[in-house]
Amino acid sequence: MDNKGSLLKGSHLLLLLLVSNLLLCKSAASLPICPNGAVNCHVSLRELFDRAVILSHYIHNLSSEMFSEFDQRYAQGRGFISKAINSCHTSSLSTPEDKEQAQKIPPKELLTKVYSVMRSWDEPLYHLVAEVRGMHEAPDAILSRAIEIEEQNKRLLEGMEKIAGQIHPGIKENEVYSVWTGLPSLQKTDEEARLFAFYNLLHCLRRDSHKIDNFLKLLKCRIIYDSNC
Amino acid sequence: MKENVVSTVVFTLLLFLNIHLLNGQSLPGKPVIFKCRSPEKETFTCWWNPGSDGGLPTNYTLTYHKEGETLTHECPDYETGGPNSCYFDKKHTSIWTIYILTVNATNQMGSISSEPLYVDVTYIVEPDPPVNLTLELKQPEDRKPYLWMKWLPPTLVDVRSGWLTLQYAIRLKPEKADEWEIHFAGQQTQFKILSLYPGQKYLVQVRCKPDHGFWSAWSPENFIQIPSDSTMKDTTMWIFVAVLSAVVCLIMVWAVALKGYSMMICIFPPVPGPKIKGFDTHLLEKGKSEELLSALGCQDFPPTSDCEDLLVEFLEVDDSEDQQLMPGHSKEHPSQGMKPTYLDPDSDSGRGSCDSPSLLSEKCEEPQANPPTFQTPEGTEKPDNPKANVIHTWNPQSTSLGNKIPYFHSDVSKSSTWPLSQPPGQHNYRSSYHNIADMCNMAAGTIGAPVTLLDTTDKKPLETGEEGIAAKQREVGNSHPKTDQARVWLLSQEETPFISAKPLDYVEIHKVNKDGALALLPKHKEDSDQAENSSSPETNKEYAKVSRVMDNNILVLVQDPRAPNLALFEELAEEDLPATLQQNQVEKELPSFTTTQMPSNCRLQLGGLDYLDPAGFAHSFQ
Repeated sequence: MDNKGSLLKGSHLLLLLLVSNLLLCKSAASLPICPNGAVNCHVSLRELFDRAVILSHYIHNLSSEMFSEFDQRYAQGRGFISKAINSCHTSSLSTPEDKEQAQKIPPKELLTKVYSVMRSWDEPLYHLVAEVRGMHEAPDAILSRAIEIEEQNKRLLEGMEKIAGQIHPGIKENEVYSVWTGLPSLQKTDEEARLFAFYNLLHCLRRDSHKIDNFLKLLKCRIIYDSNC
Repeated sequence: MKENVVSTVVFTLLLFLNIHLLNGQSLPGKPVIFKCRSPEKETFTCWWNPGSDGGLPTNYTLTYHKEGETLTHECPDYETGGPNSCYFDKKHTSIWTIYILTVNATNQMGSISSEPLYVDVTYIVEPDPPVNLTLELKQPEDRKPYLWMKWLPPTLVDVRSGWLTLQYAIRLKPEKADEWEIHFAGQQTQFKILSLYPGQKYLVQVRCKPDHGFWSAWSPENFIQIPSDSTMKDTTMWIFVAVLSAVVCLIMVWAVALKGYSMMICIFPPVPGPKIKGFDTHLLEKGKSEELLSALGCQDFPPTSDCEDLLVEFLEVDDSEDQQLMPGHSKEHPSQGMKPTYLDPDSDSGRGSCDSPSLLSEKCEEPQANPPTFQTPEGTEKPDNPKANVIHTWNPQSTSLGNKIPYFHSDVSKSSTWPLSQPPGQHNYRSSYHNIADMCNMAAGTIGAPVTLLDTTDKKPLETGEEGIAAKQREVGNSHPKTDQARVWLLSQEETPFISAKPLDYVEIHKVNKDGALALLPKHKEDSDQAENSSSPETNKEYAKVSRVMDNNILVLVQDPRAPNLALFEELAEEDLPATLQQNQVEKELPSFTTTQMPSNCRLQLGGLDYLDPAGFAHSFQ
């Protein structure tokens, strides 16, 4: 008799545990995003992409504002645009030129390209912040945004790696990125040359951040919403 | 030779230029590409301004080359975008690539190129407005109705693949309002408006913006009519409130009407006003302050000096040649009749004004010496004229006296006031003299008893008043006029209107009573009275003159050797005076007396002399 009672109790307890687990599992989706340091935390791809898109959108806005600020303050009447033709260091990385090309590329490949471009900007962003700080009359609008872009780019890289970990785990094995060699130009003593180096760097940053943002949005709509955003 | 060639060439060039200018033909103006736009980030169009055509048919071409390429291309489509435009279709459009565009204007004279324009399609995206805006008024049962609107993105924009991400904004306003109400709708293609004015017709518009581009234009207006809000409950409630408040107001009005007076009495108790016996408020209403004040006994209001300060302390007899009783309370007063200091009208050193008979004498002297300059008494006297003046003034004033109760102002002693106010004419003195007489008369009883003065009904105190007045004159010191005295005085005055009205007459002293009252006889009764009066002066000595005051209550009268001198009777015999005076018919003899009786008039002013008309005295004694 005792065994039956204990068995019954045990079954009840198990049932209770199951129910509670189910309930917990259901609400897992509404749980907050994994805190830092969590190992086995599972975040959905949708959330990863949403966050990535938010970050990329934010980074491009900052880059666009930074370029406008610099252009208005330092580059008026100097004709820098004419010299900044085909001068971005990431142009060697072949990326789609229009929508058809972007939609033709498989998502993983597109993701890899995005990741490569982002990796290519790690070092330039670091030096950009250092050099803007060293400028006389360091404009706060440009410096603060440069610092913010550098920080957000790192977070976006982490997000990209998480996404790639889910859909393209081997992304880090094929680590292709462009090397930036524009540091000497940033440190030129000639004011005109130095300013053009900055202009060129900011111009390329604006373009590449827009590419990243656009590609991530395409990927999100394609992977998460099945091209039905 | 060279010079000739050069000059020839120059001449030819100039000729050509001149020919061209004369013809109005020239190179075309420099075109300018002013706008490039892409509606969906897949195609784009550029427009330019042609500039002047130089008078010749001009051909425009657009050439471009892309970043990273060396080939120069020409515009693939000049038509789709309209005149002076170039349309780049999807094939010719590359994103994230700089286009270098140039427009060339060519005419017969030549061609000219525009400035190159660097265009990146990435940053020139401006979509079309959203389409299919639908409005719907939803009215749930338990809640207020709200406006539900839906729309679709522009047809060309590819949102489904995520190539462009659009954000929307809507705006609405009542049809007749001036300002729009703008709401940001994010990336959703629907929106709810909860705050609506019922009975209004609303206009709604929507527009969109790509994630990194320009806002589109507003969509065409869409209308919706909001039905009126039938708030029956509110209406009923307001009607009820209105009726209730009307009823309450009616009740209040009725209560006020019925008991308004008592309520007002309760809220605003009446303030008791001062009651002055004999005070005629009608005079006040008429604004006749003079009459009113004279009725109260105040000739000059407000009193400029304190009457009590001017009380006569004692009566001083002056046996100077001017034979005028000059009551003086100050010892400084010499025997002379005229004393400059004494006559100082402004001096308030105890000189009686209201009370003192001295005031009267002062006034008497003033006409003597120099009527307009009472303040500067002169030693010389002008007995005739002043006296006459005085007499003259006596008459008319007596009439007025009868009619009203003169107020003996305490400050009458300021002879400067009244004499100065009157020209030296004799007629003026009448009033002035009379005023003096009045003041002297009033001095006995006016101070402190203005109210009683008005009481003309009480006759009892007449006798006592008479005695009181006499006593006052005899006494030394302050003679505060009693109310009775004042009353009596006024009464006696009023009772003897005949006396005041008729010309002044003289009386002779018949006898002196035990208590010091003088019995006076009318002058023209000398046949009957003179014999009785032991002390009465003979026909030649008609006037009695007070030589001195004895024991403070006895007047010593002496015969006045001067014919024109008038006896000054200070005591009033109540019993005799009215009768005797009334019997006198001095009117006939008045003219003769008036001319010479001034001094006596002054004397008579000492205490209640209204009915001791010096004119009457003169008459009787003559």
